Amino acid sequence: MALLEKFAAAAAIREQLQAGGHDPTQVVIERIISPTEGLVEGRHTILAGTNNYLGLTFDPACVEAGRNAIREQGTGTTGSRMANGSFAAHTALEQELADFYQVPYGMVFSTGYAANLGTLTALLKKGDAVLLDADAHASLYDGCQMSGADIFRFRHNDLVSLEKRLQRLGERAQNCLIITEGLYSVMGDCAPLVEIVKLKQQYGALLLVDEAHSLGVYGDHGCGVAEAQGVMDQVDFFVGTFSKSLGAMGGFCVSPHAELELIRYVSRPFIFTASSSPSIIASTHEALRQLKARPELRETLWRNARRLYEGFKAHGFEVGPELSPVVAVRLSGKELALSFWNRLLENGVYTNLMIPPASPDQHSYIRCSVSAAHTEQQVERIIEVFVGANLFANATTVFRE
Amino acid sequence: MSTSQHEIEVRIQKLLASYLESSNHPELEKHSAITPDTNLVSDFTLDSFQVMEFMMELEESFDIMIDMNSLSNSHTVRDLAKIVSDELE
Repeated sequence: MALLEKFAAAAAIREQLQAGGHDPTQVVIERIISPTEGLVEGRHTILAGTNNYLGLTFDPACVEAGRNAIREQGTGTTGSRMANGSFAAHTALEQELADFYQVPYGMVFSTGYAANLGTLTALLKKGDAVLLDADAHASLYDGCQMSGADIFRFRHNDLVSLEKRLQRLGERAQNCLIITEGLYSVMGDCAPLVEIVKLKQQYGALLLVDEAHSLGVYGDHGCGVAEAQGVMDQVDFFVGTFSKSLGAMGGFCVSPHAELELIRYVSRPFIFTASSSPSIIASTHEALRQLKARPELRETLWRNARRLYEGFKAHGFEVGPELSPVVAVRLSGKELALSFWNRLLENGVYTNLMIPPASPDQHSYIRCSVSAAHTEQQVERIIEVFVGANLFANATTVFRE
Repeated sequence: MSTSQHEIEVRIQKLLASYLESSNHPELEKHSAITPDTNLVSDFTLDSFQVMEFMMELEESFDIMIDMNSLSNSHTVRDLAKIVSDELE
C-alpha cells in the first residue's frame, strides 16, 4: 500500500494538532446564530476568524436576493458556461464588477481559488516570468506553477528585492507579471502599491493585485488597497473573491485589457467548472450593492478593528505592523500557540491558528478577522478572553519551569 | 574564471550552516556533518517555508535568481549547487 504511505506525514500533523484538545482545522459550528456568533460544542462562540468583514451573510436584502434567485432561476446551473450557456445574472455581475473597478472587462469564477488559477494559467505560459511576493496566497502560487512560467519570488513587500529581480530579468522584464496582494491575510499588512506601480512602469511589466481581503475594506468606494493608494488605473488585473466581504462564494478578475475576454476561451479552470448557482450570484450582486450604498459598514469595521488592535496592544500583545481588520497576535512557539488557541475556543472565541510552515515566517500567530457586525461588547469580550488565555499560558509556563 | 561546482558546494555548505544557526534550528549540532549529499528536507527536516527561505539566501549570496520550478526534486547540496552553477553560466 505504498501509495497510501505518504499520508503518514499528514497523520503526524493531525496528531500534533489534536494534542492541544481540539483540532483547529476541524472545528464544527453546530449552528450559525449571526455573522459573528455560532454554537461550538453547545457554547455560544464569537466568530473572530471568519473573514466576514462587512457582516453581510445575514443581511436581509442579500438573503432575499438569494431566495428569489432560487425561486426564479432554480438551484443550479448544472454545468459550465461554455457548455450550458451563461445565465444573464452572471454576465450582469461581471459588468457590475468591471464598472465598480472602472475597467471595461470582467469575469466571474466559481471560487476565489479558481479565479487565480483560471486567470494565471491563461495569462502565463512556459517561458514567461512571474515575480511573486513571497507571502502570496497558495492559489497564486498554484496558478503560477500550473502555468509553467518561470517563478521568481521576491521578499515580502520588499521593493529592493523586487527591483533587483526586475533588473536581472533584463529584457524579459517586459514579458513579466508582478503579483501582489492588496491586504495580506495573516499579518494584516498592505502592499506598497504606489512604489510597485512605479517599478512596473519603469521596467514595462504587468501587475496583478489580489484584493481578496481588501475588497469592501479599503478605499473610498471599497475597491481595495489600490484604490486607497490612488493607483487603481495602473493595475492590469484585479482578482478577488466573493467569499469574504461579499458573504457568498466565488471569485472574479477585472481588467482594462481586452484580452480578459479571450481568457474565457483558454482558461481550463473556467471552462471545465460548473458556474455558480443563481442564489450565489444574486446574493453577491446584492452584497456589492450594499457595499457601495452603505459606507457606514466600512466605518464600523474600522472602528472595531481599531478597538481590537489597540486593545491587544494595551495588554502587551505583539500585534502586526499596521492597523487593519486582520489582527494577528504573535506567540513564542507552536505548542504555546496551540494551547492558547484551544483556551480561546473553550472560552467562546473562535480564531485562526497559524503555525509554521503555514505562517509567513518562523513564528506562530493567532489571527483574528474583525467584522462590521461585531458589537462593541463582542470586541471587548475577545480582548478579555485573550488576556485570560495569556494569564493561563504564562501560569502554565511558570509551572512547567 | 568561473566558479567550479566544488567551490559552489562548499559555499552552499557554509551558507546552510549559517542559516541553521541564524534560525536556531533544532538540529544545529549536525553542522559539521554537512556534505554535498546532505538533504535539506530529510537530513535537516527543513519545512517548505524554510527551504524557500534558504533559496532566497542563495539567490542573494550568489546574486542570481532561482526559478521555483527547478526546486521540486532538488534537495541536496549537490542538486542546489548544480542549479546555482547553471544560473551563473
